[in-house]
Order: sequence, then C-alpha cells, then structure tokens
Amino acid sequence: MFSQVKFALLDSFSRVLTTLARFLPGVVALFLAVGLLALVGAALAWAVRTVLTRMRFDERVARENSAGVSDWAPAHSPSLLAGRIIFWVCVLLGLAIGISAYDAAGTSDIAPYLLPYLAHSVGALLILIAGTILSRYLSRSVLISAVNAKLNYARALSLGVKWLVLIFTGAMVLDHLQIGGLIVELSFGILFGGLVLALALAFGLGSRDLVARSIERTADKATPIDRTAERASETPRSLRHF
Amino acid sequence: MSATFDGAATDIHQQEAAAAASSTATQIVLCLGPWYEDTTADHLAPLLTMLRDALRERTSQALIAYPAADPQAAAWQHEGFVIQPYASAAKLHTLPVQIAATYLSLYEIMRAHDATCGLLLGPEAHTLHAEALRALVEAVLNGSADLALPRYAAGPNEGLVNASILYPLTRAVFGVRANFPLALDLALSSRMAERMATAAQSSTTASQPEALLWPAAEAAVAGYTVAEITAGTRELPHPTGADLSSILNTIGTSLFTDIELKASFWQRTRPAVPLLQLDAVPIAPLPPPPPVSAEEISELVESFRIGYGNLHEIWSLVLPPQTLLGLKRMSRLPTEEFALPDALWVRIVYDYVLAHRLRTINRGHLMGSLTPLYLAWVASHIMANGSALPDALPRAFDADKPYLVSRWRWPDRFNP
Repeated sequence: MFSQVKFALLDSFSRVLTTLARFLPGVVALFLAVGLLALVGAALAWAVRTVLTRMRFDERVARENSAGVSDWAPAHSPSLLAGRIIFWVCVLLGLAIGISAYDAAGTSDIAPYLLPYLAHSVGALLILIAGTILSRYLSRSVLISAVNAKLNYARALSLGVKWLVLIFTGAMVLDHLQIGGLIVELSFGILFGGLVLALALAFGLGSRDLVARSIERTADKATPIDRTAERASETPRSLRHF
Repeated sequence: MSATFDGAATDIHQQEAAAAASSTATQIVLCLGPWYEDTTADHLAPLLTMLRDALRERTSQALIAYPAADPQAAAWQHEGFVIQPYASAAKLHTLPVQIAATYLSLYEIMRAHDATCGLLLGPEAHTLHAEALRALVEAVLNGSADLALPRYAAGPNEGLVNASILYPLTRAVFGVRANFPLALDLALSSRMAERMATAAQSSTTASQPEALLWPAAEAAVAGYTVAEITAGTRELPHPTGADLSSILNTIGTSLFTDIELKASFWQRTRPAVPLLQLDAVPIAPLPPPPPVSAEEISELVESFRIGYGNLHEIWSLVLPPQTLLGLKRMSRLPTEEFALPDALWVRIVYDYVLAHRLRTINRGHLMGSLTPLYLAWVASHIMANGSALPDALPRAFDADKPYLVSRWRWPDRFNP
C-alpha cells in the first residue's frame, strides 16, 4: 500500500514538475519578449523625440496648424505624442510575440484566441481615450457657449453632455470587448433614448417661446434683406464693442 | 518674392494690360475690399466724389481696383478715375476689417503699375473725410511714412475691443502708439505693401485667405515709419452674423498668434516706434454718447458673475491665484461698486497671451472664456464714466510688460 502511495505521489510530483518545466520557458519567453521590445521601444521613442526636437517639429506644427489636432490634447507636445505611440506599439508587439512564444513552448493554444482579443482590447482602449478627450472637449465647449449665452444652468448642461458622451463611450467599449452582449445594448438604448426623450420634452415644453423666436431669427437671416432697411430697423445700441 | 506671387498674379496681369496702357504713371492704387465686389458706377458714385475731393490734382495718377467675380470683367473709366477689376478669392468676412487676400491683391496691382502708394479702403469708405484720405496718401507719397493709419474720432462707448485689448497690447508689445492698429483704411508705401504681401502669402498658402494681418506690428518689426492721421468721425459698420464671443475669438487669436510669431522682436527692450502725428481733421468734441442704462450695466455684471460661477475651473488653469482672488472679490461687489482695476485687467490679458502660447487649454476654449472677463472690463469702464485718465490703461500695459516677458521666457517659474 505504501509503495502505491509513494508511486502516486512521485508520479504526481513528476507530472507537476514536467508541466512546470514546459510552462516556465513560455512565461520567461513572454516576459523576455515584452521586456526586450519595451527597451527597444524606449530607445526608438527617445531617438524619435531627439530627432523631432532638433527639427523643431513642435514649433512647425504649432505654426502651420494653429487650430488643428494638437489643440485637442494641448498638454502634450506632438513630438512627445509620437514618442509615446512608438513606445506603446513596441510594447504591444512584444506582448504579441511573447504570447506566440508561450504557445510555441507547447504549454497551451491560447494565441489564436488571445491575439484577436488583444487587438480588440487595443481598439477598445483607443475608443476609451478618444471618448474621454471628446467628452472633455465637448463639455468645455458647451460650458463656455452656455456661459456666453448667459445661461445660469451652464454647468449642469456641460455635465450632462460630458456624461452622455462618457456613457456612449462606455457602451461602445463594452460592445467592442464583447462583454455583456445584449444587456449592454438594451440598457444603453433605454438610457440614451430616455435621456433624449426627456431633453426633448423639457426643451419642447419649457422653451416654446425661445424656439419660436430662434426660428423666426433664422428665417429672417435666410431672406435677403436690403441693407438700408436692416440698418433702419436696428435698435439703437449704446455700446459698440468693435 | 516676385516668383512667389507669379501664380496668383496671372489673372490680374491679363486684366490690367489694357488699363495699364491707358493710364499714365499710376502712383496711387486704391484697393477696395470684398465689400465692393462687382460694384457698379452708381454704387461707387459717393465714394468717387469723395476721392476726387481728396486727391484733387492727383486724380489722374490714381487707379481704383475692385474685386470682380467675373474674370472677363473689363476696366472702365469714370469721373477721371481708371476703375480696374481684380480677381480675388476672398469672401466677405464677418468683421469689417482688411484681410490677407486684400493685402496680396493690393501688392500685385501696385507691382503691375509700379505704384508708390497703396490705399486700402474699408466698407462705407465714402463717409471718411476727404482731408483725412488726402493726408493718408500724402504721408506716404512724400516719403515721411511707410504706413499711414487713421485715428478715428470714437466716443467712450465705441470701439471697446480696440480700447481694452488691441491698442494697449499693440502699444506695449510692439511699441506702436497708433490708436487703431486694425484700422479699416490705411495707406502703404511700396515696400510696406510688399512686406504685408509676404505676411499675407503665408496665410493664403495655409488656406486662410481671410486671416487678419497686423500692419502696425509688421511696420514695427521692419523698422518702417508709421504715421497717424486724425480722421474725424467715420461710419464704422457693425460686424454681420457674428456674436461678441466669436469676434473676440477671431481678433484675439489673430493678435496673440502674431505676438507669438514676433516674440524675438518684442522681448528685447526697445524704444517706442516713432509715430508721426498729423492733424488732417481737427479734433472736435463729440456729442455726448447715449447713456448706458442701469439694466445694461447690470446685465454686463451678471454676465461676469455667471462666468465666475461656471468658468472658475477653466480660469484657474490660465490665471494665477492672485488674479483669481481679485476676480473673487469683484464677484462679491454690489453692482453699484463694481470695478475691474486696470492692473488686474492687464494681468488677465497678459496671462491669456501666455496661455495661448503655451496651449494650456484649447485655444477656442481659451478665447471663449475671455468674454465674461471682457464684459466685466466693459462694465467697469462704463461705470468709471470717463473719470479715469485716457491713457491710464495703455500705461498700465506698458508698466507691466516685464511680467509678460518674464513669464514668456520662464513659464514654469513660481507665480503666486
């Protein structure tokens, strides 16, 4: 009996050690690939940043694109952005190579499943970043426009827009990651539809006069007006800004 | 330089062939902006009458150029003037100001005719005094100035953007003491026109033919002479289809960008640009402005308070704590005691110039968040009711220029 127990234990020990021996090289290869490519990425990013700085790339972009893409993320210079993109592309490449090496070590067969999911994750991350930047941009735009239109509820309006975009982004990210399935779609549809309906009702019922005046003004602008008649109809203003 | 403009000038050269042959020794080119597109003799009649009074014996030396949509439009003569169409890509700007494309067209026509004086006229130019226009032309033709700018007679409640930002900032930064740096009408020498065309060319190649240019700043950087001519009253048209916020955005962005581009010039301590001052139209006291109602003032103050309540987060990214403290105090003042000190306004403008350069926040947002602060200045300016010295604000800008220079060079230095 003892010999059987001993045999079972040794057999189990041997199996665990064998599995570990097959598993470890794959893990080491994974970490090695990620580490090496991260180092390569850091070196490439540094080189690109140095070259771009010497070429005065940031100043050229600022001069030639005064209202362009760089305005959307003003805290970062274009050369820093280019360096970071290169670094993270290298890290992701290292991760993909590492996972393939892990599979090649014969431990598992996860690469065919994990790599497409990794690509989806990158896509989801990009959507999340874009959504966050867009929400910040739109909320500030709405806030400033509402303040300049002298609306007391400017902050509430801005927060509403921010969360609307963030919810929309969250739903897109979850959908992209295939998490939640129909639940996300349904709940998002109900939430978004409900919000739009509530806003439409609030706007329609609360601001009928305002909308009517706005439409009248738009109609007036669309009709060509004789300049003299327009000037005569203008109410006298005591202040002239320009 | 010549090669740069050859492509754009082809049409103009073709159109001008006939007129150039008939006009002898054109010395003055009067370029009308997009407000006069496809104009007719009837529409031009009041302007031509004024021009004849202004130019007198020089009428035969003048050529009037107007924008025409039809490239086949021919030159014609009227009341002794040669009236020449030119092709222009410029569209009507929401602001009644001279734009890059017009400067470019003026230079092309001046070059084609070897003219020595170019004149840009804004909308409603017929309301300009003939003496003022003559003085603008003479200042350039007799060689005393490369750039002649008019000094319009404006009431205390008129041209507020100019009085609060454009004039004092241009004066402090570039050392040009011309009261209207973005004048509607101006005269340029041939070398000044060439310089403006070079500046305009960089805007048009960047697909911005409607960009604003700053002739006073260009003249200061080039070391050219500037003259200011008292021009009396002139009908100044209202901007069309643009609200105050977008006007501030357009003008402010353009000026702040120009300041950024010319940073190497103004960071050095230099004497003020010599300004030749000529009295063409005697300065007469203006009729008292229509009173600003209490409701209008409280609306302005309320705009600031709404801004303070909502934009504090954005302002805290742009303005230092001391300025924010000043704004906090202002927001608590009753309307009757509301006042924005000059020193505080100067700091606000300088900090906005710096934030524009550093891209602290999106530039559109930055300029949008300036509107409530500007309205606070307007309210304070009206409530002061002329009690402040007329030159107090420009002097405050001059005095605080070291702050701008210091923070421009060392933006990360501690700034309480």
